[in-house]
Amino acid sequence: MATTSISLVREQSEAVNPPRALWVPFALGRPLGSAADPGFQTDVLRAAFAILETAESPTIVDYLVDAPMEAGPEAWACPVNLPVADDPSHTGRLLAEVARLRPWAAETRTVRGRTIFGVTGAGADQVDEVARALGGIADTGDLEAVPPGDVDWAFDMPLLVRHLAEDLRTFYHEAVAAQPGPNAPNHAALNDWIFGGTALGDTLQQVGHHLTAADDFILTMVRGLTIPEGRYDDPRDDADHWAAGSGV
Amino acid sequence: MVRLSDLHDEEAAHLLARAEAMAPVAAAPWVHPKPLAESTVAIVSTAGLHRRSDPPFQAGAVDYRILPGDVDFADVMLSHISTNFDRSAFQQDPNISFPADRLREMADAGEIGGVSDWHYSFMGAQPNHEALRDTGEEVGRLLAAGGVDVALLIPV
Repeated sequence: MATTSISLVREQSEAVNPPRALWVPFALGRPLGSAADPGFQTDVLRAAFAILETAESPTIVDYLVDAPMEAGPEAWACPVNLPVADDPSHTGRLLAEVARLRPWAAETRTVRGRTIFGVTGAGADQVDEVARALGGIADTGDLEAVPPGDVDWAFDMPLLVRHLAEDLRTFYHEAVAAQPGPNAPNHAALNDWIFGGTALGDTLQQVGHHLTAADDFILTMVRGLTIPEGRYDDPRDDADHWAAGSGV
Repeated sequence: MVRLSDLHDEEAAHLLARAEAMAPVAAAPWVHPKPLAESTVAIVSTAGLHRRSDPPFQAGAVDYRILPGDVDFADVMLSHISTNFDRSAFQQDPNISFPADRLREMADAGEIGGVSDWHYSFMGAQPNHEALRDTGEEVGRLLAAGGVDVALLIPV
């Protein structure tokens, strides 16, 4: 049996030296380059398979065709104004925001006939349960207790935190996918939106603060798995904060 | 496009550090594959894919999930642990990292010989490749027993 592979990080393929690899200049998460673009995807696959017919020793071939670009932060903005509630709790603001986005997410699910929401163990219609769970962690700082609710969670705490965040991001991404507009937003545009003033972004920051304040290796790692690189607003970056006596 | 220089500095440094810690795969006899038009192809993904009824991947997972060759995309979930890649494309079109439709089309067109009855998925972000040796070899045996000629390895 022979192998051929797609490589997203050329430096890692160079280190591993697999028999056959096609390095592609695409974003992480997009190894075949362009969603809903069968012709583009098939061309990438043909290039990966072609190495089977030519290589006689470990080979990395560069695929020097850029994928069609999604809209970046400068070219995309969510047309729905968020946040929508003046509520003292993260849970309240998050639930209000989810309610505002629900019709759009439902439309996307209808069109696609599927969703990947629910990795937490929540049913496809239990978005509010997930929002209450993450909002509750933000409001209470409790990183040990399993969130209440009628869900058979698929993860233990604290790793559940990371998947609650992912399920809600999935729901938000579904919501914007149905909204009018010429271009789908890319990863940076979606993160700019979520961390640029939504209740979800604020909730994630607050959860991140709790995970950080615990000063625990595992909880710090969970924060890294919950909030993308460069998006956490770490209060320790504020010299005055630490001079005031945080002790770390 | 994304190259390391296009990523956030910390993410790029993390991926580069991972590369520097990786060792080459052990040399093995070179396999001369059958003609592609006669080859049965299976996908081996590291996107953390599984059916909705399967348990999701836990942190540090070295196990794998099986996906039928004719799996309905509505039944495919993604529980990869990293938060630093774009899931919106997979939400829109699972073929972006699990090209089951594309392989079926290529088989129908005679470009490949056929599509395996089973595909396999691990979770990536595994810094210790040796940890995957047992389950990796197990999947290799399953692929061979299933008559697979070409394993298409796809990251996320």
